[in-house]
Amino acid sequence: MNQIALKELLFRLADDEVIIGHRNTEWTGLGPIVEEDIAFASMAQDELGHAQIYYSLLHALGEADPDRLAFLRDASAFHCAQLVELPKSDWAFSVARQFLYDAAETVRLAALSQSAYAPLAQAARKFAGEEKYHFMHGKTWVTHLGQATAESRARMQAALDHAYPYALGLFETAEADAAMAAEGLCAPEVELKRVWLALITPILTEAGLALPTAAPVEGGRRGQHTEHLTALLNDMQLVFRSDPEAVW
Amino acid sequence: MSDTQWEVYEVFHQKARGEPHVHVGSVHATDPEMALVLAKEQYARRMACVNLWVVRAEDITASAYADADMFQHATDKSYREAFGYKVVKKMRGKKGEGD
Repeated sequence: MNQIALKELLFRLADDEVIIGHRNTEWTGLGPIVEEDIAFASMAQDELGHAQIYYSLLHALGEADPDRLAFLRDASAFHCAQLVELPKSDWAFSVARQFLYDAAETVRLAALSQSAYAPLAQAARKFAGEEKYHFMHGKTWVTHLGQATAESRARMQAALDHAYPYALGLFETAEADAAMAAEGLCAPEVELKRVWLALITPILTEAGLALPTAAPVEGGRRGQHTEHLTALLNDMQLVFRSDPEAVW
Repeated sequence: MSDTQWEVYEVFHQKARGEPHVHVGSVHATDPEMALVLAKEQYARRMACVNLWVVRAEDITASAYADADMFQHATDKSYREAFGYKVVKKMRGKKGEGD
């Protein structure tokens, strides 16, 4: 099996999850109502849990342990899409991002559950239940905010227009993608993107929202990031880096 | 001042198929769909769960506490309680489980 392609795939998965998970914890205590505050924080914990399992798979392949992978790498070593590193912004943006991201994750996990790398297929099947809820949550909020009032619809559309080009960046390919597909590690990104569009388009239409037309914002899979990732990592890694040998 | 809260939905939790749905609390929500989404993380995050019900609190018709005396028996009707049957004891014992 092509170790370089496999590790790159795992880094993308893990880094997307740890960064979106950390980002969404920033809503803790600030959610629009207390019930949603709890729900959003709980989903962020789910994503961090998935990241830990993906990092464990990398550790089993000879990489550093999960804590070191999450807390000791610099921004340029992260393979996450730029979508997940953008600031949480207003509630409409975080909802739009969560919907687009979790729809993509739903599609990706379904493909990964058939992965030729058995430990990854097993992890993907394990995450399916939590992901089903995440998608239901995102869909419910997008539909409600799209349909509620003129203001909520306008803010949802603006948020969608902002998030969408970055969401397309979730399907960015790099050199290793040919090997990933050839070895059956995961379906090709172009195929995942097609299924993702078929999943989100009717939901946005029902919500009264227009699917934006925009060019993808890419670079994340190649280690090119916005300044927001550096700021996020400074915050997220601060405690661990203050004493990497500490036993927790 | 008008109430700015969303409507209250009562939440019922079922831990396994065939078990009764048990009232566990309430959530604020705009409609039943949102109530289910929010109830899941409030009430099914720690306990085992196979099914949730949400019901708009307004849709529940309740007796008045002022009428609580209507539930009291004026004469001894313990014969109705059927304590003598083993199966009743078993059921009541089971109901007490995990409370």
